[in-house]
Amino acid sequence: MSVWSEWQDYLPAYLDGLSVTLKLTGVSLLVGLPLGVALSLALTAPAKAIRWPAVLVVEVGRGAPALVVLYFVYYGLPQLGLTWTSFVCATIALGFTTAAYTADIFRAGVNSIPVGHREAAQALGLSHWKELRLIVLPQAIRVVIPPLVGFCILLYQGTSLAYAVSVPELLSRAYSQASITYQFTTTLVLAGLVYAFVSLAAVALLRARWPRRSAARTDVAVPAGEPVPTAR
Amino acid sequence: MQGRSMSTTSNALLSLDGVCVAYRQHEVVHDVSLDVAAGEVVALIGPSGAGKSSLLRAINFLEPPSKGRILLEGREVGGTRRSLDALRRDVGMVFQSFNLFPHLTALENVMLAPVHTLGVPTEQARDRAMKQLAHVGLADHADVKPSKCSGGQQQRIAIARALAMEPKVMLFDEPTSSLDPELGAEVLATMRTLAGEGMTMVVVTHEMHFAEDVADRVVFMADGRVVEVNSAGKLMRDPKHPRTQRFLDAVRNR
Repeated sequence: MSVWSEWQDYLPAYLDGLSVTLKLTGVSLLVGLPLGVALSLALTAPAKAIRWPAVLVVEVGRGAPALVVLYFVYYGLPQLGLTWTSFVCATIALGFTTAAYTADIFRAGVNSIPVGHREAAQALGLSHWKELRLIVLPQAIRVVIPPLVGFCILLYQGTSLAYAVSVPELLSRAYSQASITYQFTTTLVLAGLVYAFVSLAAVALLRARWPRRSAARTDVAVPAGEPVPTAR
Repeated sequence: MQGRSMSTTSNALLSLDGVCVAYRQHEVVHDVSLDVAAGEVVALIGPSGAGKSSLLRAINFLEPPSKGRILLEGREVGGTRRSLDALRRDVGMVFQSFNLFPHLTALENVMLAPVHTLGVPTEQARDRAMKQLAHVGLADHADVKPSKCSGGQQQRIAIARALAMEPKVMLFDEPTSSLDPELGAEVLATMRTLAGEGMTMVVVTHEMHFAEDVADRVVFMADGRVVEVNSAGKLMRDPKHPRTQRFLDAVRNR
């Protein structure tokens, strides 16, 4: 009996796991990205009382391993009277990590706008909010998309950590298969291939939607050395 | 107090009254007072680091003055949010590096502030913007992105963008310094036209011919202070202060 010869039998379990993985990725992004935008605005705020708490949250979020955060939410918070399902715990932990990492990506995007553009907006009498909405964000989004896509793919792979709190995602489905068949090698290779297939498909789709900027766009600074990471 | 009452009672369009500019503790402009009459063109000249650009940026509070007051039509401006808004509406600015918004076309650049600062309806703002683009000779570039335009064209679009606010005063911060002489000349020609139409202008420049031919008055600054002010003809041809003479000799014997 081999996974290779009977892969049709295993596939439904993998696809179930994949759908949980994708849901977890999506919900974590839904929670984390708006928080990341808010944090990035706080990071660039003139008032120290706003800036410092944001710095603390971002540094903790990037400094602590996601698994530690996940365990804290799943095992630590119940002792403080906060109990959620494993899926919700994984969402909170990964959402928090997403917010911390993307805050820095968004901040870099905002900082990539030449200060002269902002001065021109001010000299034209635009309010601070309109300056952000009409001048800064439309330009920053172009700078932000490549590293953001890279992060989303890392997060998608990072959802496998939720295995540790028994969310029935792709890795835990594969693992439970393997614990029945003892075919760890083939089972894990198959799981890896499913992860890789989705990652690569996502990259391909995005490349089609946002082709690499041509040299004509020299007026927008795109940070060098930020290639879109592919699945490994 | 004496100096203050003098500048408020004068009929100057723009008055600087004891203006200082400081970056943290370091003061770069010391106690400058200057009146600019309606329709007057004033050129600010002087060596790099003299504080010319800092002074110009203080006028519209991109660099809020550390001391002193800015008065527009006799009213102090810039102190409160509301008076800052009024100041920015009435004072246009043109930068050395153009600072056009690269994600917008020429027309959208020019329309932006009338729509979003003044609340002009879009169609009306479009007409207004087209008129200003035609004014600087670039009506045919309305739908072009700035990156496809030459430096001279970009700077003329930037001038049109400032004019679309129908400002009372235009500030120019070394508008030709990042252009080669030929492209600089087309920008200077546009500025000459504006001056001829009676626009009040304060121009920081290294273009001595422009200062001499177009400006009514020239202000020579060095080390953060106004060293000499005179009509353009007198200051350029017959400078009184040795520091001014030294500067003009050095510039002309290049």
